[in-house]
Amino acid sequence: MNPYLALARAQARSVLAYRGNFALGLGGFLFQLVALLAVWRVVLSNGPIGSFDWPQMRSYLLVAFASGVIVGMGADYRMASRIVQGDVALDIVKPVDYQRARFAEAFGGVWIEVAVVLLVGGVTLVLFGGMAWPGWSETMLFLCSMLLLFPLKFLVVYMSGLACFWTQHYVGIQWARVAVVNLFSGALIPLAYLPSWLAAAAKWSPFAGLTSTPGLILVGQAPGREGFVLVAVQLFWVVTMWLAARGLWNKAMARLTVNGG
Amino acid sequence: MNPAPDLANGCEGPTTAEEFRRIWPDTRAFHTVEGRAVAIVEAEQMTKVFRRPDKGPGLRGSLKHLFVRRFDDKVAVDHVDLSIEAGEAVAYVGPNGAGKSTSVKLLSGILVPTSGTVRIDGLSPQKDREEVAKRIGVLFGQRTQLWWDLPVRESFAVLRDLYSIDHGTFRQRLARFNEVLELEELMPVLGRKLSLGQRMRADLAAAMLHAPRVVYLDEPTIGLDLSVKDRVRQFFRTVRDEGTTVMLTSHDLGDIEGFCRRLVIVDTGRVIFDGDLKAVKDAFARERILHVETETAVPLDTAREILPNAVVTAGENPTRFSIRFDRFVLTAGHVIGAVTALSNVVDFSVDEPGIEDVIRRVYSGDLQLAGEAA
Repeated sequence: MNPYLALARAQARSVLAYRGNFALGLGGFLFQLVALLAVWRVVLSNGPIGSFDWPQMRSYLLVAFASGVIVGMGADYRMASRIVQGDVALDIVKPVDYQRARFAEAFGGVWIEVAVVLLVGGVTLVLFGGMAWPGWSETMLFLCSMLLLFPLKFLVVYMSGLACFWTQHYVGIQWARVAVVNLFSGALIPLAYLPSWLAAAAKWSPFAGLTSTPGLILVGQAPGREGFVLVAVQLFWVVTMWLAARGLWNKAMARLTVNGG
Repeated sequence: MNPAPDLANGCEGPTTAEEFRRIWPDTRAFHTVEGRAVAIVEAEQMTKVFRRPDKGPGLRGSLKHLFVRRFDDKVAVDHVDLSIEAGEAVAYVGPNGAGKSTSVKLLSGILVPTSGTVRIDGLSPQKDREEVAKRIGVLFGQRTQLWWDLPVRESFAVLRDLYSIDHGTFRQRLARFNEVLELEELMPVLGRKLSLGQRMRADLAAAMLHAPRVVYLDEPTIGLDLSVKDRVRQFFRTVRDEGTTVMLTSHDLGDIEGFCRRLVIVDTGRVIFDGDLKAVKDAFARERILHVETETAVPLDTAREILPNAVVTAGENPTRFSIRFDRFVLTAGHVIGAVTALSNVVDFSVDEPGIEDVIRRVYSGDLQLAGEAA
């Protein structure tokens, strides 16, 4: 078997090991989804605000939920703790590319996250009524955007994990990452509601691809050419961050210290 | 999907020497030039400097450090030259903090030297990390490379794929390891459920599965009980005999004895001795301490009189005492005989000095080893 596939498979099997922890972590995302749904339902009950009406917001929030769950259920802790604990030493002496190996593992672990997203999405749609699907071309573009969401989220998580080489600690980084991603990706509130200068900055940032881009395409607010541009930006950031992460890794290797044992 | 290896399915290790060499190449064969072994691991002026924050004492110091950053350079490994030939077994010893682990991490390519060079099989571990990784095996006694949440057999299967080992070779190697390490019972156990001894057995196999040309064993017997220790030692002796280059760091003289001929002693990052282990032991580890318990109290002065070449010290009560002697001057039998003449011996034990004692005496200036460096 290809070495990267073997790693992916090992991770795919490992994710079931901590079901309790997974359920609790999932609870966090679920509560956030329910809270946001409740708030926006009230806010939008008297008709649309700006460009969003209630059914659109519902779909958009589901995308935000998916973006939180994908590569968000422990993959970040796993990568970070190997660095903080120094077990990364054993990863370095494996004949595989470090970044591709971690990517393969994230890929192996994503199946259960996708399953959860589909389940929760389905249940929500049943409870709150269905959603308006955009046309075929938008649906295809939306799926492309969701596919790109995976490497993009991986890279954000991976690079924040690499930061542990400098900080030796993960919690602060994680909080910072979650705060930045929530705001700039539009997961907390759609970018259209931010002050215009901030919205513009966020729109072109790598984070927009994590919620805003697929969300807007799904609810039909990025029609035609605009949708393609947004997905192209997403792709641009995937490629750029992949290369940047390599640079970061090389820098980290030069200053790596592994204490004890 | 390939079936997981299962030793219970009657897989046998290689039965002929030829078959054996197919699954277990002799590293010495790759590294000879005109019949002479050449270096497989080479370090030249290898140096590692860690930068650590220099904070003043207390909260005040920590706060001050936020604004005025001062760093302190700690030289962990200091211009080390080392050359290890293919098939050689080398022990690397030194007290805590001497730079042993850091050296191993530099020599295996995990850390980048601050200055100087490291070459493994002629390759730079930084430039050709993946190539180098195929040729080395690493065991850190305090870390595991098993997958925590998978049964041991699955961990082995992942390693098989990581190193692109074909299935037949893989099964035969496992069957061979099984003879010494008794892996069979561990195969269905999850990595995190293994006891320390079980984990070490599985980890040894994991480190050797791809038949590395060089293997680094960093404290491989730390925390193990005697029976597992024996098995682990037997395993790395076998590996050595079959031609793998082994570099071992340990605190435990028992790991080193009967295992390697070459001893490297490091202190504060420098190699202070590099030479023959036996010579060091004969020269310096000659002291023995015999602890005796007798039926009736023995006047220590009498004991001193009949053992003029030994040092007698009192124990916790009058029937217990200790006798320190040089094993080239007196034998344990002679000492026991002398004590028996004074009173019946109820119990006794002998302390041998560990390599650490030798090392400690080297530091204190008692011993001059430098002149013996090979």
